[in-house]
Amino acid sequence: MSVQHGSILTSQTQAGPFAGLANRLFGGNLRRADWIAFALLAPTLIFFSIGVLYPLFETIRVSFLDWTGLSQPKPAGFSNYTKLFRDANFWNALRVTLTWTLACTGISVAIGWSVALISGLAPKQTAPFRVAIFAAYGISETASGLMWLGILQPDFGLLNGILRLVGLEGWASPWLGEPSTAIWGVVAAYVWTQAGLPLLTCYAAIQAIPKSQLEAAHMDGASHFQILRYIMAPLSLPGVRIAIFINLLNSLKAFDMIHILTAGGPIRATETVGYFMYQESVIYFKQGYGAASTVVLLLAVIVCSIPLILDKASESK
Amino acid sequence: MITQTPKWPVYVLGSVALVWIIPLVGIIAMSIRPEGEITSGWWTIEPFTFTLDAWREVWVNYPIGRAFLNSLAVASFATVLPVLFAPAAAYAFHYLKFPFRRILLLILVNAFVVPNQVVIIPLFKLWRETGLIDTYWSVVIPFVGLSFAWAVLLVKNFLSNFPRSLIDAAQVDGCGHLRTYFFIVLPNTITAMAAVGILQFMWTWNSLLLPMLFLRENATLPVMLSTISGAYEPNWDQRAVATIITSILPLVIFLFFQKYFSADGKNNSGSKG
Repeated sequence: MSVQHGSILTSQTQAGPFAGLANRLFGGNLRRADWIAFALLAPTLIFFSIGVLYPLFETIRVSFLDWTGLSQPKPAGFSNYTKLFRDANFWNALRVTLTWTLACTGISVAIGWSVALISGLAPKQTAPFRVAIFAAYGISETASGLMWLGILQPDFGLLNGILRLVGLEGWASPWLGEPSTAIWGVVAAYVWTQAGLPLLTCYAAIQAIPKSQLEAAHMDGASHFQILRYIMAPLSLPGVRIAIFINLLNSLKAFDMIHILTAGGPIRATETVGYFMYQESVIYFKQGYGAASTVVLLLAVIVCSIPLILDKASESK
Repeated sequence: MITQTPKWPVYVLGSVALVWIIPLVGIIAMSIRPEGEITSGWWTIEPFTFTLDAWREVWVNYPIGRAFLNSLAVASFATVLPVLFAPAAAYAFHYLKFPFRRILLLILVNAFVVPNQVVIIPLFKLWRETGLIDTYWSVVIPFVGLSFAWAVLLVKNFLSNFPRSLIDAAQVDGCGHLRTYFFIVLPNTITAMAAVGILQFMWTWNSLLLPMLFLRENATLPVMLSTISGAYEPNWDQRAVATIITSILPLVIFLFFQKYFSADGKNNSGSKG
């Protein structure tokens, strides 16, 4: 496709009446086009190299070094990685990451998809509700975390307040201070910010369904539920798919919300690999070790995005 | 479409939306009530005292004005640069043929996999060595670099809907690639650039990890907020105000443009077909 695009100038000039003139003017016009291409690309490549490529390769390099605090770095082979997989805390982080990503992705996509489907039945009347849910996506995780403290705070948070009000005082709990519930508190706050995206992608897919198809189903006597179940649900699957990917990657990379609400605690109950890395490299200053855990995080993200990468490979010909 | 719309979706989604705005209602309630009433529950109705004290005091107790300006500077620089450069790169990838084109594009568009956690330690060391630590550049450079992964692809996809006849016409009329880019393609990619700009502004304004590590003196709003976010910190009323001030700009921009995101935004490039 774009190979043809790429050769617009050459094919045009060769085929067109100006071919000879253009060739004489440009000499080897390909080399000139190369220069133009790299001039257009230069700013992108410079920022990309300093801001992404250099740190990426540096992190991979450091992960093979024995380097803690102020000591001289020594080559360490794979020892950081073998240490990592003998570290009970890292296994804990892997377990937490699994729970965290599955819960955040599953719940946010389930909510976004359901809301999109239901509002597909009454698009006009439910528009303000969609905006309300979507709006949370524009709020930073930091600010969202503080808002959710208003719900989860043990002494005067709304959740405990309601429980006390309806006489379930025994259920009131310091949600974020309790190792067994802390992760669900953070998941709730994170889902609150993330559900807007599945709503957007699924609703866009539902909007793209031809009206005639829905009308035909209705004429044939399909109930609202049948329309929802057999037409909208299957036809919105592309939106679901892209939302699963984006939210999966986002929750794997998550840091801000965890940092604000629990900072990985209590007793590492909310420490994902993305947070473990921060503890090891930034707090304990174990550079080699922290870098190794970062590389594991990177590999996890890459594995999860293989379908997307393949998509892009075919798209970016 | 469906001749009569059922009533129940309105009720169901109304209750979901209600749950969704409770945290927002809470933070607004906290910002306009004295702290004594907050610590007995911001949702309580009796007694309700309206006060704007927190809105006045927050500027004194927290460096919030400065943080706002820092956030504005960081997010603006980190937005303007990709908006300027991504279309140029997308044009080169889409219309030009040059060595390493395919491999460069593949590396660039797949860099979306790189988490912020990967870049923080090497860049921290680099900024310390070069003296860039605590300058806007220390966060703007990685923000801009990371943005190209999706921004270039977004503009490039936009260009694939761009009528080729316009480009061909320009070139028959004697425009070189630079002139074609500046006078034909660039003015027509404004929709795509607006999408890049809005998303990038929102994300960089909201982000915490990079500014938290690289900007000490020049803390942005989320960084400032994170230092006062503990569950047992005092000044709930003022922290609520700080939270609102942090959220208001991206939220307004986002709500203002949310229609635009749900529209499929194909093209309006001065020619049909």
